[in-house]
Amino acid sequence: MTMHDEWTDKLSDYLDDELQDGERAAVEAHLRACRECTAVLHDLQRVVARAQGAAAVTRPPLTDLWPGVAGRIERIRQPHRLAFTIGQLAAAAALVAIVSGAVAIRLLGPAAAQRTGQVAAVAPSDAPLPAAAAAADDAPRAAQISLADDQYDAAVADLEKALKQGRGKLDASTIAIVEQNLQTIDQAIAQAREALAADPANSYLSGHLVETRRRKLDLLRRATALTDMD
Amino acid sequence: MALSGDTAVRGGTNEDVALAAAGDASAFERVYRTHVAKIHSLTRRMLGSHEADEVTQDIFVRTWQKLGQFRGDSAFSTWLHRLAVNVVIERRRSFAIQRERMNDDPSVLDFVSVAPARADLTVDFEQAIEQLPRGAREIFILHDVEGYKHREIASMLDITSGTSKRQLHRARMLMRKHLGGS
Repeated sequence: MTMHDEWTDKLSDYLDDELQDGERAAVEAHLRACRECTAVLHDLQRVVARAQGAAAVTRPPLTDLWPGVAGRIERIRQPHRLAFTIGQLAAAAALVAIVSGAVAIRLLGPAAAQRTGQVAAVAPSDAPLPAAAAAADDAPRAAQISLADDQYDAAVADLEKALKQGRGKLDASTIAIVEQNLQTIDQAIAQAREALAADPANSYLSGHLVETRRRKLDLLRRATALTDMD
Repeated sequence: MALSGDTAVRGGTNEDVALAAAGDASAFERVYRTHVAKIHSLTRRMLGSHEADEVTQDIFVRTWQKLGQFRGDSAFSTWLHRLAVNVVIERRRSFAIQRERMNDDPSVLDFVSVAPARADLTVDFEQAIEQLPRGAREIFILHDVEGYKHREIASMLDITSGTSKRQLHRARMLMRKHLGGS
């Protein structure tokens, strides 16, 4: 490195006002005496000015990149579209019908359900229960059950026992519908567990399992509440 | 098909950003068309034409994923630009260019062809930028074109401010030669 290079190396910092006062004064003193460094400084000023001008000049891509972006976004939005078997999808769809059906039994009565032969899509699963059923829902065995395995299993066992004890109070067709729906839910839970075992990190499956178990609990609670109404 | 900025850019407002953050892909397309020219220019300068398209797409996909994190503390364009710079830097790192980039070997100066200044200054200047060694180019673009400070560049690239300053000076001296300086 020559003596000259030592000065030129400071010129960018000088230009950007990055030097301490003493260094700045020394550079300015050198520039007054050195035409070569002054010329370099002017060239650097031109370069910086051109760079700043270039910032305002933008060019779009030569091809439209949006279709590629849109395709990748779509895959992000529906990451699990192809991840399930038809059986799994059918089980998920059945769950909606099951819980709605349970509410239909509640609201319309077993006779109505039997009369129509359809229990699905009558009311949303979170439709309000009649007062007696709501009171039954407040019973300790059904209150704020955690879905942690031990608590959940205990609550399900408790409700199944209560349902068994009260089944004599229910119409035969109601019992059949409840049992059929519980069987379908159990199948859905088993399928969800199986799928989750194959893909443990799948958050959708995990949430689906939790929701399915919650719906089983909900159906048991509602069926048990029916036995308490009479 | 080249996109005409004026005809393609419609909307791209804060409302579109909010709609896109809520999952509206049509609104996000308007946001894309508003900003794609600037983002593509950034990627083209920093990575070269051959990588610009792919990385631009990466940037907008990442933008879509992170829109929920945009709080409006700064202008959306500023937020997007910083996100784009981060994606570009990650790209560079993923190709293990970092080590080469910080090579202070002065022989890299020889890699840059010296061309006389021409009338089509903008194109010529862009071509000159593309010929800079990667490390010098990156810092030259971030500092002199995009307006970042040395301390910001140092933070982004995980280098010291001193290294940033040295690389910038080297880039300017190379550009000076390209533009016809002695």
